[in-house]
Amino acid sequence: MKVSTRIRPAAATITSVKPFTAAVALATVLPVAGYAQSDSPDFSADLLALDGNNSEIPEVLTTTRLRQSKLKVPGSTTILTGDMLRNLGVQNLVEAFRLVPGMVVGDRGSTNPVTSYHGTSQYEQRRLQVQIDGRTAYRISLADVDWIAMPVALENIERIEISRGPNSAAYGINAFLGSINIITRSPQDTAGAEAYASAGSRGHLRTFTSVGDSNLGGSWRLSYEKRKSNGYDSQVEGGEEIPFHDGHDVNNFNFDSIIRLDDNHSVDVRAGVLEGVNEEDLNKSGKLGATTDPDIQMNDYYLQLRFDGATSDTHFYHVQASYQNQRRRQRWSVSIPATTINALLPPGSPAFPTNQGPFIADLNEDSEEARQEFELQDTLIFNDDLKLVSGLGYRKDTYISETFFNGRGNNYQSRVFANLEYSPQRWVTFNFGGNWEKTTTTDEGYFSPRAATNLIFNDNHALRFVFSRAVRTPDAFEQSPDWSYRPSNVQAPFEALEGYRIVIEDLLDPSTSTYGKELEEEWITSREISYFGQFHLDRALLSVEIRYFNDHFRDMISGIINEEEWYIDNNVAIDQEGAELEASLDFSGTMLRASYGYLEQDEWYTGDPSALPAKQQEKAVDLMGRLSARNSGSVAWIQDWPLELTSSLAYYWTNEVRESRFERADFRLARRVDLPDYSYVLALTIQHYLNPKPWMSPDNRIEDQNQYFVEAGVRF
Amino acid sequence: MEQRNSDALTTRSTGRSGKTISRLLPGLILLFFVTVVSAAGAPSRTVYVAGSGNTALDQHLTKLLQQRVGENTAVLPIAENELSSIKDAPVVAVGPSAFSKARQANRSAAILGMLVEEDLVSRFAERSPGQISAVYYNVPLLRQALTGKVILPHATKVSILATPTSAGLYEAVLDQLSGYGMQGRVFLVESSDDLIPTLIRALGYGDFLLAASDDAIYNPRTIKHILLTAYRRNRIVIGPSQAYVKAGSLASSYAPFPAMASLAADYINAYFNDGTLPPPAYPEQYRVEVNDQVARSLNIPLPDREEIAGLVNEKLAETGGPDNE
Repeated sequence: MKVSTRIRPAAATITSVKPFTAAVALATVLPVAGYAQSDSPDFSADLLALDGNNSEIPEVLTTTRLRQSKLKVPGSTTILTGDMLRNLGVQNLVEAFRLVPGMVVGDRGSTNPVTSYHGTSQYEQRRLQVQIDGRTAYRISLADVDWIAMPVALENIERIEISRGPNSAAYGINAFLGSINIITRSPQDTAGAEAYASAGSRGHLRTFTSVGDSNLGGSWRLSYEKRKSNGYDSQVEGGEEIPFHDGHDVNNFNFDSIIRLDDNHSVDVRAGVLEGVNEEDLNKSGKLGATTDPDIQMNDYYLQLRFDGATSDTHFYHVQASYQNQRRRQRWSVSIPATTINALLPPGSPAFPTNQGPFIADLNEDSEEARQEFELQDTLIFNDDLKLVSGLGYRKDTYISETFFNGRGNNYQSRVFANLEYSPQRWVTFNFGGNWEKTTTTDEGYFSPRAATNLIFNDNHALRFVFSRAVRTPDAFEQSPDWSYRPSNVQAPFEALEGYRIVIEDLLDPSTSTYGKELEEEWITSREISYFGQFHLDRALLSVEIRYFNDHFRDMISGIINEEEWYIDNNVAIDQEGAELEASLDFSGTMLRASYGYLEQDEWYTGDPSALPAKQQEKAVDLMGRLSARNSGSVAWIQDWPLELTSSLAYYWTNEVRESRFERADFRLARRVDLPDYSYVLALTIQHYLNPKPWMSPDNRIEDQNQYFVEAGVRF
Repeated sequence: MEQRNSDALTTRSTGRSGKTISRLLPGLILLFFVTVVSAAGAPSRTVYVAGSGNTALDQHLTKLLQQRVGENTAVLPIAENELSSIKDAPVVAVGPSAFSKARQANRSAAILGMLVEEDLVSRFAERSPGQISAVYYNVPLLRQALTGKVILPHATKVSILATPTSAGLYEAVLDQLSGYGMQGRVFLVESSDDLIPTLIRALGYGDFLLAASDDAIYNPRTIKHILLTAYRRNRIVIGPSQAYVKAGSLASSYAPFPAMASLAADYINAYFNDGTLPPPAYPEQYRVEVNDQVARSLNIPLPDREEIAGLVNEKLAETGGPDNE
């Protein structure tokens, strides 16, 4: 915890700067007299080239792609540092977002984590852009964010920037409600070897090992993380508590490297492999008469290359290309009464005997998704008052699934984006940005603009007025489903159905089905008035950010997708407003932090009144608010003590989602010892659930209100 | 230089006079008078300066010394091959190389080191005790640590990188830091491959990195990487010298040449008074060098250089003054 209570000098205006590769010579260029006091004549005046962009005012990269101070950034952005998350004893990545005003974190289905900003989500979160080091990380064609399979270890996180509010102007159509940018630690800062393990309640186990090296020519890091959990203790089925098969076991390998070509050019090479199993419970996730748990086998990998260059202190660029592949293998056995099977057969087909047992076979929801992404970004600093970032991107999304798409398909997206920051006076900054994008999902082009005015007072306070619009296009499955199941390992007397295609469209209620209907894009128009300020107290630094927002959602896609019902459509509108607070007080050895979000939503059905019965209309509206919490917040306190002890206390609450409230207090005590040859840390974390009732789903049951976790780590 | 040549010329001319005395008598008489007259105004004491090889530096130091020892003491340069012939005159050796050569060339001469560090002088004193002393060039680590404390008042933890052989040198300052509301920790760099990993651990501990004069760690080959890594972690580097501040270290205290020359002149005068050099010591006056560009980049507003130096002196004075260093 570092704090400075000094006031920034007038001369030290925050300048936007180049990426890390760009060289700003910090060395004082002074003529060295013949008798200058120098014992190292080998030093040259410009020996040190360094990115001169550190600033006392927090800076963010995510919002516009320009490095901007919070005084000039066009929107509210939460910064979660990796150190803070580790000090608070955050046990898995998705839990970190409880610290973000307006975000809700929970579990759906067989403990599949979900987080949302301002709700507007059904189960899968499909309206947040999530990136890891600039690489898109949400699922490709079955829009969702798979936090269990997120290929990043907590120990490798430098910081997470959450841009709250539509950010399509910078990142395109999925940054509908906001964007999450997970920035990993530079391998330059992790040279050496590290080992870490934590274990705790409900089968929690996480191990992390990392090796790496760094020199002036470059640096690299190879890390391996295992994360494992048994999930919740039990579920309720038929009024009884029974074991819940909802854990996961994931192995994640990451390689990160930077090759420095010279002071102005470098290449980043990143690659990763993730494999594991996400347990799905038969009772919770089983379909079509499942008799075995439909566990999901995960096999993902990615490769990312990025070239950073600078032609001068005021002009820099990067070219990035990435490829990622996500395979899911989900298979289970089913037992379906013969009468049901007979009903599915085409008219005139001979019926199977009904007295020889049920139809027994295996079904699958296997899928493979791939994403190729290319991006060019160019930044021009005309002067301190005028900066322009612009670029273009291209993406090819490929999906392969016999079940969901009856084969394979592709979607293509092309886009251009730009943001201009203009400060005609010291006290005012304008940002104008936009993203034009064309996607084959709808075969249309969209422009997402953003305009903002920041009024800056005393170099420490800013009042922002932000207007933005964003779109989200339906994902491939919503737009172009071809859903069916092909039984395999079919047992007698149904062998003839081996490979037979059971088409879901045939099972759907034709009176409500919108299956195959072409969907349009969703729109959000957002207005934000926010304040950011820093108060330099005598021995402390107080930072406050308050956001008021007023959003209008139109043509929201809502409804049900399952093997019995399919009635999604652009049929819901939402008006929402609210306020959010984020504050921190830092002084030497102490950090206090608080966040709070208040949200009011007004939703109504806008679809064809005759298309759906009233009950389904209500359901479609209700789904949009399923993850919306009127009140949520957090309070955290991290304190250094003598004897190298650090304690943290955190309190999280969310009130309420689906008539459940989340309330938990975490306490962590850690001792970090730095010895001449190595450092180690030992920690104990206790999570106390103040509200013993299951959160979000009645099946998310925890027997002991106190959950315990121990950690041990060593670094050489 | 001019005086010494004159002496040599006098000696040689006297030798020749025995052989050709009759023919050169008028000239010898004239030369005798010139020599006598010259000797009558010449300094009565001589100090030799074994230079560093950097002509400008040697001349600058010689001039400062000459100004301080007074007119009756000649400050004369001496070549390496003449060191062994020195008797009853102190030798000021400038820099570690000259100090080492002077000591090896002449074990009986009194040698006063300048621009040498405590570590070097201590090693010589252990190996071959004799008439050696020094005005230390390196800055006391406590003073450097307090320089960092003045710049970052909230700082409570100080990291120091050391090699296994140099680690012991920092025990004293580790003890002293607690008196100033700080605690320090030494991180061992076992090999060059170990430097950055150890640095990363050190940066995780300390509010700033206190760079000591340890060439095995801080040298032109490593300093850029060290500074880049430190600043990326938002940690400042203090020390070890002015040169490193020019390279990108945020600040360093340093003893100005006039202060070092004054102390050296005091030692020379003491030698001529009682025949021995006082024990090696640090100068009493220090200034602070800062790198304004680094400070601006890290957004650390710096007090005025003199103010920093003054505040450091104040802190030292509160606990016994510079002697406590």
